[in-house]
Amino acid sequence: MSPLLAVSNLTVSLPASGGYADVVRSSSFTIGEDDTLGIVGESGSGKSMTALAIMGLLPRGGRATGSVKFDGTEILGMADRDLRHLRGAVMSMIFQDPLSSLNPYYTVGLQIEEAYLAHRGGSRKAAHKLAAEAMAEVGIPDPAVRARHYPHQFSGGQRQRIMIAMALICEPKLLIADEPTTALDVTVQAQVLKLLARLQAQTGMGLLFITHDLAVISQVARRVVVMRDGEQLEYVTTEEAFCSPRHAYTRSLLEAIPRIDDALTEAP
Amino acid sequence: MSDALLQVRDLTKDFTVRSGNALFGRKSTFRAVDAVSFDVPPGQTLAIVGESGSGKSTTARMVAKLIEPTSGTLSLHGEDFTHARGQQLARFRSDIQVVFQDPFSSLNPKHTVERILAAPLDYQGIKPAGGRRAFTRALMEQVGLNPDHLLRYPAQFSGGQAQRIGIARALAVAPRLVICDEAVSALDVTVQAQVIDLLRRLQQQLGLAYIFIAHDLAVVRRIAHRVAVMSKGVIVEQGSCQDVMRNPRDPYTKTLLAAIPQINPEWDRRRQENAKELA
Repeated sequence: MSPLLAVSNLTVSLPASGGYADVVRSSSFTIGEDDTLGIVGESGSGKSMTALAIMGLLPRGGRATGSVKFDGTEILGMADRDLRHLRGAVMSMIFQDPLSSLNPYYTVGLQIEEAYLAHRGGSRKAAHKLAAEAMAEVGIPDPAVRARHYPHQFSGGQRQRIMIAMALICEPKLLIADEPTTALDVTVQAQVLKLLARLQAQTGMGLLFITHDLAVISQVARRVVVMRDGEQLEYVTTEEAFCSPRHAYTRSLLEAIPRIDDALTEAP
Repeated sequence: MSDALLQVRDLTKDFTVRSGNALFGRKSTFRAVDAVSFDVPPGQTLAIVGESGSGKSTTARMVAKLIEPTSGTLSLHGEDFTHARGQQLARFRSDIQVVFQDPFSSLNPKHTVERILAAPLDYQGIKPAGGRRAFTRALMEQVGLNPDHLLRYPAQFSGGQAQRIGIARALAVAPRLVICDEAVSALDVTVQAQVIDLLRRLQQQLGLAYIFIAHDLAVVRRIAHRVAVMSKGVIVEQGSCQDVMRNPRDPYTKTLLAAIPQINPEWDRRRQENAKELA
């Protein structure tokens, strides 16, 4: 059986002065059902571009070569018209900043409904009911009333929950989460991570979790890809990455993690 | 405590907010900071931690005299500067400097680094001994930047380097206290570690005191001597860094510490063993 998502030799190039620059170089990994893969790296390492290439959402002029197979079907280079049937339906993505991903002029209920109507059709009334259920599912209190509110009326953590409700309303098989908790306070981050784990246990979706935070990775991911400057340095189990890192860069990342129980050593 | 460099007593800030309509809504006051008191001894670091909206940045801004407190007192070396103006304020500005979160938005993109670093001197009307060029070159070296890059513009530096420029600018007037308002929060973790090392080295060399504003308790652990935890405008707990981290007394501090993502303890033990082998 083929894995849910199989990425092989993915190379992404963006237009740069005098031609193209590779921002991801021959990256390969797989994600199964009920499986979580983490991608870690610092800014500019190419982790977000990997996700955007999978979703077919590269910035204008961006090129991707190699292969991305979803459920055994090649989706790299697929016509936008066909990709649109997949995006939001069988694979969804959530981003770091929920406020910029929500339309400020529409109620959140309407925006969640739209995600459903676009792929599954049916009556608006039925979709409306589902949207409220989805909001209850992600832990928004009083969902019937809150569905009629606008994005600015929610806190940062609630907005990210709404994005998750919208991403999951069609019950996708794959969720790509690009730094979903980076902008959130640490207590809210803990809640959102718990929510994602619960939803994954319920639906068996595959999860691609992108973050720069190794401690978060250690909690959510079974396997991890370490990236730097577009290069895939390691693709190992999370345990191996922490306990026996092969690459010097992975070691330096691990050393740089600020830890609450580190001794306060004397300054040099 | 007369040996404190900075004394803050019952510092309070009210903001006026209008409910509903911005123009016609009913006025009410929102107390962002409520009777906050703390001391910062010379050469030491006080970290103020809390989540967004806790009032930590508002507190920092009042200490830096960027906004006026509603009530309370601020004193430096025992001298009250709560309502300092003109000459007196300029004097305090040379003792207290700020490093902000986003290095690029706090550096003028159209000015060379030399001009940025010399700006606080011009403001203070100070002529450095040995001339501007020599002085700014020395500042660059002090923060680990190449002095030959003085005539470059901020956009030509990485985020970590730009933050070093922000630190160099703060040091230009030889302050006693530097307020770091989420100064390393936007940096990648390896760069963050380097900038923290720099701040600690400068503290040792120059005897600087820091107020270190952060939401990341693990980062605070690397730099702070004392920690004050803020929630909803109030300091709920303060003490030595060790005490607050190891034996938190306040329920909010406990929640905050418990929410930090933990690495599997077995993995973490092996991670630290590996780090020791390398050292």
